[in-house]
Amino acid sequence: MNTRHVGPAHGAHEGGHARRIPRADALSSRLTVTAVAGLLGILAIGQLRAQSGAPALAGLSATDLTQLIANLTTGNDELRAEVADLEGQQTHLTEARDRGETTVDSLSSDLARIRAWAGLSPVTGQGIAIVVRGQIGGDGIEDLLNELRNAGAEAITVDGVRIVTGVVVAGAAGALSVENHAIGDAFEIRAIGSPQILTGTLTRTGGVIAQLLATYPGTQLTVAPVEQQTFPATDRSLVPSHGQPRL
Amino acid sequence: MTAIVVWLRALPKIQVTFAVALLVLGFLITAQVTGEKPRAQYSTQERAPLIQTVLDLQTQQEAFKARILELRRQIGDLEAQDPGAAESLRQLYADLEDARLAAGLIAISGPGLAFRLEDGTTGAGVDALVSAQDVRILLRELWLAGAEAIDINGERVASTSAVIDIGGSILVNSAYLAPPYEIRAIGPPDLYDRLRSSVAFVDFVQGRIDRNGMSLSVAPLASVDLDAYAGTVNLRYASPAASGPP
Repeated sequence: MNTRHVGPAHGAHEGGHARRIPRADALSSRLTVTAVAGLLGILAIGQLRAQSGAPALAGLSATDLTQLIANLTTGNDELRAEVADLEGQQTHLTEARDRGETTVDSLSSDLARIRAWAGLSPVTGQGIAIVVRGQIGGDGIEDLLNELRNAGAEAITVDGVRIVTGVVVAGAAGALSVENHAIGDAFEIRAIGSPQILTGTLTRTGGVIAQLLATYPGTQLTVAPVEQQTFPATDRSLVPSHGQPRL
Repeated sequence: MTAIVVWLRALPKIQVTFAVALLVLGFLITAQVTGEKPRAQYSTQERAPLIQTVLDLQTQQEAFKARILELRRQIGDLEAQDPGAAESLRQLYADLEDARLAAGLIAISGPGLAFRLEDGTTGAGVDALVSAQDVRILLRELWLAGAEAIDINGERVASTSAVIDIGGSILVNSAYLAPPYEIRAIGPPDLYDRLRSSVAFVDFVQGRIDRNGMSLSVAPLASVDLDAYAGTVNLRYASPAASGPP
């Protein structure tokens, strides 16, 4: 390696033929290199962020992204409310403990809320009723239930059976069942939630009801708001027998 | 060749540095532009802030979920330390823990299965992209086979969970999940045997997965770890009722 013989400054001093860089030029060159290096850094960071942060987002259209933003915003609003709720509960428990008081009321209320949410106890509230008439497959009903959950349904029943984690409406058209309960060709699906949002989501143009009517011609699906309805608790035991709490 | 080397050596160092920097700059600009290519069909100006908003909201969502899990853990600890040690209180704690376990609000471990569902190669007339419907079919078959708890790419499936399409990906519990999808389930030791004996599952594998060149792999596991559901359990429209309908 003999590069030390040919460096620009070295060469300039040795031979006197190489052009000596004047001070102002040297300063401007350094500034240019600094600017280019800065730009390089910004671009490199942009490239790395684009590659690591959002590879899957690259395939989404502006419409998809807008829909995703709407979903994330709604979801985050709910999560924010949950955080506020839990912080209130934590403060209450801490203060009660500091005062040496028991918190039976708070615990009972928390228990009632979780049991109602999970389907372990009966619930009541406004919502909608969907009357189903005709031959429809279990996968069609499951699509409908999925859309109800997506629209914010807090509790659902199918032909009077509470739908909870693990409960599936199965079977071919004309042979539907849920939790070993046979369903006839005419039955009701009920949901508790905002009647406007639930109805709007189901019945929008190209929505799940339109799709089901196209897939199962001859089926009738009628949606109506309900002011007050009460759902039973599930009969199913939801406490896992094979899974154990992880410490 | 020697002349080129001599010429290069004669160049001032600053010029060489500058040339290399420009070369890297050119490479990065090319990479940036090439990286944007699939998006070229859309307005890049419009999409860039949207993508940034999505990334910000996802970061916010992860922070909220982490906070919720932490608060639930702390509340559980506080309840366990409650000074009242009466039998009725102990029973209340036990009921609360059971309810949380049943609702999926507690992380669990147990024997089970891990599936990996991947896109195939798309072509004319071939629908080889995994959709929310495919994921829902697999969930349904797992529940029917006796699964007790399931997650999708780490998102615990709860009673209010929906799985919906968004672009070529899915949303679960409002979380944006991209393929490949890993679906893990805890259940009885013969969960996979039960699944394979289901006509609907076999139809799904043969008629949907195999036919369209998609991929579904499975691994039975002695222990599957599932995180707790980190979403909301607040009820806005429903309230606990004294008893069921008459």
